[in-house]
Amino acid sequence: MKDYHSENRSTWCDGCGDYGIWAAIKQALVELKIPPTQTLLCYDVGCHGNMSDKLLGYRFHGLHGRVLPFAAGAKLANPKLPVIAFGGDGASFSEGIGHLVHAVRSHYPIVFVLHNNGNYGLTTGQASSLTPQNQQMNTAPNGIPEATLNSMDFLFSLEPTFVARGFSGDIKQLKEILKAAISHRGFAFVDVLQACPTYNHFATHTMLMQKCFKVEDENHNASDFAKARKLAVDTSKRIATGILYRNENVPNFIERLVPRQGKTTTPVEEVETFDITKLMEEFV
Amino acid sequence: MSRISLKIVGSSGQGIDSIGEIMAKALKRSGYCVFGYREYPSLIKGGHASYQLDTSDEKIGSTEVNVNIVIALNHHGLEHNLTDLKPGGILIHSTPDWKFPKEHQKLIDRLSLQVIELPIETVLRKLGAKPILGNVLLSAFIWSVLGQDIAGLKKMVGEKFAKKKDLLELNMRCIEEGFAMHKENASFTVPMPKPQKKWQKQLLITGSKAMGLGAVHAGMRLFAGYPMTPSSPLLNYVASTQNDTGIVLKQAEDEITAAQLVSGAMFMGTRALTATSGGGFDLMSETLSMNAMIENPTVFVLAQRPGPATGLPTWTAQADLLMAVHTAHGEFARLVLSVSDSNDAFTLMNDAFNVAEEFQISVIVLTDKQIAEALYTQEPYELKKTKIKRGLVTDPEKLKKLRSSDRYAANAKNGISPRWLPGADAATYVAQGDEHSADGSVDETASNAKAQLEKRMKKMETLKAALPEPELYEAVSCEQLAMSNDAVPEIDILLVGWGSTKSVIFDVLRSSKLKAQSSKLAYLHFTHLWPLKTEKFIQLSKKAKKVILIEGNYQGQLGILLKQETGIDIQEKILKYDGRPFFYDELLKAIQEKIEALPTRSGSEDPSGSRTTNH
Repeated sequence: MKDYHSENRSTWCDGCGDYGIWAAIKQALVELKIPPTQTLLCYDVGCHGNMSDKLLGYRFHGLHGRVLPFAAGAKLANPKLPVIAFGGDGASFSEGIGHLVHAVRSHYPIVFVLHNNGNYGLTTGQASSLTPQNQQMNTAPNGIPEATLNSMDFLFSLEPTFVARGFSGDIKQLKEILKAAISHRGFAFVDVLQACPTYNHFATHTMLMQKCFKVEDENHNASDFAKARKLAVDTSKRIATGILYRNENVPNFIERLVPRQGKTTTPVEEVETFDITKLMEEFV
Repeated sequence: MSRISLKIVGSSGQGIDSIGEIMAKALKRSGYCVFGYREYPSLIKGGHASYQLDTSDEKIGSTEVNVNIVIALNHHGLEHNLTDLKPGGILIHSTPDWKFPKEHQKLIDRLSLQVIELPIETVLRKLGAKPILGNVLLSAFIWSVLGQDIAGLKKMVGEKFAKKKDLLELNMRCIEEGFAMHKENASFTVPMPKPQKKWQKQLLITGSKAMGLGAVHAGMRLFAGYPMTPSSPLLNYVASTQNDTGIVLKQAEDEITAAQLVSGAMFMGTRALTATSGGGFDLMSETLSMNAMIENPTVFVLAQRPGPATGLPTWTAQADLLMAVHTAHGEFARLVLSVSDSNDAFTLMNDAFNVAEEFQISVIVLTDKQIAEALYTQEPYELKKTKIKRGLVTDPEKLKKLRSSDRYAANAKNGISPRWLPGADAATYVAQGDEHSADGSVDETASNAKAQLEKRMKKMETLKAALPEPELYEAVSCEQLAMSNDAVPEIDILLVGWGSTKSVIFDVLRSSKLKAQSSKLAYLHFTHLWPLKTEKFIQLSKKAKKVILIEGNYQGQLGILLKQETGIDIQEKILKYDGRPFFYDELLKAIQEKIEALPTRSGSEDPSGSRTTNH
């Protein structure tokens, strides 16, 4: 764990769910024996992004909403390194929602960890697409007029191959989820419910603790797409956590690229002058 | 220099391009230099389109307004393109019983134009051939009009249909019929100059394909793009090579994605490229700013077309120079350069990657619709000279000694701190989009903000010092003129320009029509546009009687940058902003007029440089 330790002090609010996710990702990487030099952690912009300098490893902290295509490009360039992208519900389901759709569809072999606190924390408590309708927020003293996006129903409509839900208050379970996600063949979506003690007064840590249950305790079959979807979508009484759906039989983006079949080198290793003599022939 | 030009007109999708391509290649193989130019509306089928070939026994790189032969595939061509002919020109068409209106009839008489109707449909019916073969028939007829050998055309078409025996035979018969048709109309001839062997082995290539080859040769292993004319031909070409090159090709969901994909790929350590046009580049500008902060090398191709908005999607412009120089928030170093033809479209790609990686900055490579789609006759590329420079720490011993705080060390020499790749066995760092200290940790202190900004801006000064001055070309030979501060050449008229106008300016400089005039002409061509090297320009503009800015935009954008950097305001401008490139005869006339207005050598000369020339 000390290999990932940074001397920089945390800046999150007391009781923020980001602490739990921070602990879980470090533990998952250590248990998978991935040293800090052999991974790339990519952060979107938001409170979660302040993790970027609170641990070691090769890291990137980019633009609001754009982390997925950056992470995908990095992965395509060097498939040997595990690439993990982190983003909040604000960016990922507004500015970045197109990227999410196409990342699932493209089936890039990367992990996406959604820091889901139901609002824009860093910009001081505005509504995200996942904030409940009518909830009073900083831009909406009368309650937000827009309907709430059902993020899990939306995601399942994209036919993902790995969907999990964790809770920042259960670091042990989240660690196991993250280990499975990192080992997944294609795009792994990990929704992490977390408290925002400062701005989220509708889904508090205590409420999440009471509502969450582990699917592994109830013999859930993670290969059943329809059941998984139902379990993921219905959070009215209880909230299912754990690996909800997993399918390791779908080739990922890189595996589907015909020109990359049988290649043992990565595009990073292949940067050298390419002899175009043959390509010039068609022009003579 | 003698030029022969032919223009094929009809609706988009009628086979104009296929005739154009057959003729272009056949002419080149026969020993002519060919320059091909397409005009078409933003439609898949229909609309009036053209494919013009300008040929010569000498180097040629432009299109002329008035041509020797017009081939009209439909009656729209008869209506619109008769006026494109030179005196004595030939119009070939296959519209039965066409009656020209009175003013056209007068024009035909006045310019002694020759009009010939070919019974294409009748011949095709006789041969039992499909309408598409009418293109071969026409090509053969033109080939004969140009006095060329039937064997050359047969060989070319033969190669194309080598594997389709039945089609091959029909094609050959069409060629023979085409020649026979000309025998019956033998008075229609356009004699070509004597062919030159040196053109035969050259390439016939568009700027987009040259750029694609250049990028592949430079070690580009990933391309991500979103379709937008006129950058799509590059995307399409690179995609078409993927099975030979093994590159990763990703058609992205939008331009932001494309820019982020290549940024991630470059960050990880491969060479990656994206290309777009103005509207797409607008979307990429935030990513440009991001890469400046994390000092991530990236290369963007910006293929210009007229805006604003959708503008003229399939036409050309040089109007995004100021955007390339200024776009994206914050102050940071960048390189803006422009290709000008099929030669530097190839060579500058490796230069762009080298600068991007060595200086850890973004490089914007400008091109335009003219370069992207024009067909150039090109010397096969010299491959041995290419040197890839990456500016990376890769030595395991050196990597071990690195500290995280070396990555963005503010005191780095020339502002360039060591860069090493994720996965390297070394201290790790964070590429931080927030202002950061040396290891990438967020640091908002005033002293750090100042030190880091100065570090990044220092790269601009380092880069400027390393860049070459613009190239000076003399008239007639179009060879580069050497110059130093002590030896500034005597020049009467200095033309100043950048990008695709170079090759048409060269054709004007080579023109025998200008040779007769005694004034000494030279052309100053800017390849590197930002940061801008100005020493040569200052020296030359002091000495020249007249400086003329030639640009494909309304404001004279290079002129604005030159004035900003030197205080010298170029008063004489030849500007064009109607979506069309400069045409040879049009530019020749414009420059001739400027020369005629020139005072005699003994006239008063203002040496200050920042002066207006007399009107």
